Amino acid sequence: LRRLTQVRWSRYNPSFLEPEVNKELYQKRPEELSEKEKETLEFKAVRPIKAAPPTLSSSVFSDPMISKFTNMMMKHGNKVLARSLMAQTLEAIKRKQLEKYHKAPEDEKETIECNPYVIFHQALKNCQPIIGLSSVTKGGKTYQVPVPLKDNRKRFLAMKWLITECRENKNRRTMMPEKLSQELLQAFNNEGPIIKKKHVLHKMAEANRAYAHFRWW
Amino acid sequence: TLRLIYTTVTVQRKNVGASGPEKYTETFIKKQIEEFNLGKRHLANMMGEDPETFTQEDIDKAIAYLFPSGLFDKRARPMMKHPTEIFPEQRKIQWGEDGRPFHFLFYTGKQAYYSVMHETYEKLLNVQKYQDQLTAQDLPPQKEKRNLAGSRWLTKIELEEMLLEKLSDDDYSRFVQLLQKLMTLPCGDIEEKYIQKFTKEVPVQLQKVVIEPLKYDERGVAFSTGEGIRKTARATATVYDNGTGKVTVNGIDILHYFPVLQDREQLLFPFQFLDRVGKHDMVCTVSGGGRSAQAGAIRLASAKALRSFVTEKEVEFMRQAGLLTLDPRVKERKKPGQEGARRKFTWKKR
Repeated sequence: LRRLTQVRWSRYNPSFLEPEVNKELYQKRPEELSEKEKETLEFKAVRPIKAAPPTLSSSVFSDPMISKFTNMMMKHGNKVLARSLMAQTLEAIKRKQLEKYHKAPEDEKETIECNPYVIFHQALKNCQPIIGLSSVTKGGKTYQVPVPLKDNRKRFLAMKWLITECRENKNRRTMMPEKLSQELLQAFNNEGPIIKKKHVLHKMAEANRAYAHFRWW
Repeated sequence: TLRLIYTTVTVQRKNVGASGPEKYTETFIKKQIEEFNLGKRHLANMMGEDPETFTQEDIDKAIAYLFPSGLFDKRARPMMKHPTEIFPEQRKIQWGEDGRPFHFLFYTGKQAYYSVMHETYEKLLNVQKYQDQLTAQDLPPQKEKRNLAGSRWLTKIELEEMLLEKLSDDDYSRFVQLLQKLMTLPCGDIEEKYIQKFTKEVPVQLQKVVIEPLKYDERGVAFSTGEGIRKTARATATVYDNGTGKVTVNGIDILHYFPVLQDREQLLFPFQFLDRVGKHDMVCTVSGGGRSAQAGAIRLASAKALRSFVTEKEVEFMRQAGLLTLDPRVKERKKPGQEGARRKFTWKKR
């Protein structure tokens, strides 16, 4: 037994690996596998693997990004409500896009994207900041130092901004799915308050460029 | 004038803890081994068995029969084992009568560890010299791919037992890095034997589990059962062949029992993964736990039942998708002095 248990410890032994749910990887025949994949398969054959979480499934309808977003939207563990809100948002996006599609002239019909999942992913991508600011204390003063962000952090910030924006700046009468779909469509077209927030952050980082050498990591 | 200085007995006594754990001499261990062998023969005689073919298991059974004990801790019960298992291995005295140590690295403090590091590095240099010789003779370097997945390095504890010295994490990681460097070079059989001293075989995970064969019921339909556990929920599932995809839980259809989409998705996950969505019927019973825990338990039970219908490769794929592992996560206990498992009471300055 370890004397010092880390604060974030898991019930699994550290030798357990993450499960891979994608069916296509397993249906490939041995000739099509590349060297690396063969090595990983051999390696996995010897190691134990963690159980798949209840939100993950091999069906076409489960998307890890969408489930992460639903978990962030959830309040007090009410997953049912969060999931229904997410479904209503995607429905609302689809409806709006279909309206636009039917009203548009022939040549523009191809450019209009109707798939709500594609819109969701593209909108999140557009909202992700590239650099962030981190406070570094040097000589008694705290400076805001521009710092490159990790992928996880970028995704988290994009989703967090989206949710806080929808919760605070909406009218008392509008429902969450409506407001969310509005924000997502705006982000998809690179407009809207969240994109503005991202640009503000970038400008601040550019302004504090002089302190970039304070970063030691 | 002389003054008597009074001292207490405790000051005059030697410091008991400073000498370390009890040291056993070689003669002592030899005597213990002789006594053990004699005792083994006596025990065999007592039990009426042949003293020549009396194994350790027989000794354990005999001792458990002659000295029954109700103690919970197995290590506290009477045992009779070979002295090498009872007395831990100790290093012999490292210096001679004149006080001069035998090993040249004695004054480093970790002589065994540094000597092993030096040996490994020597092998590395040998391999590089061999490689240079091959390139000088214009022969291609030998590239043999050893099966990396079948073996693992010794753990820190095992290495400590081997070297009879305490190691730090840093030392251990350095040693493993050196060995890995040696292994990645195209060396081949030259250093194979040396590296094997520090590796252990790891059996393939799948071989540990026995897959039950299919059973046939009165109508001639093949079926198989499985059990699953998640948090506090316990589930048993029977999967029938030649079905329409109907699933019954505790006598109720899944649409009524699990109104939430996420749970139904979890139930269908094993079938969808194997592309057998409409081909099997399922009847399950579940008790305990909450909504999501019951769904997870039934998922595990159905995955275990499906193993009998499917080839070994697909069973391995199911295991790698995480369908066949028991989820060990349970509710963490509340600790005293805190409000919940992790949440502390509100901190008040005064």
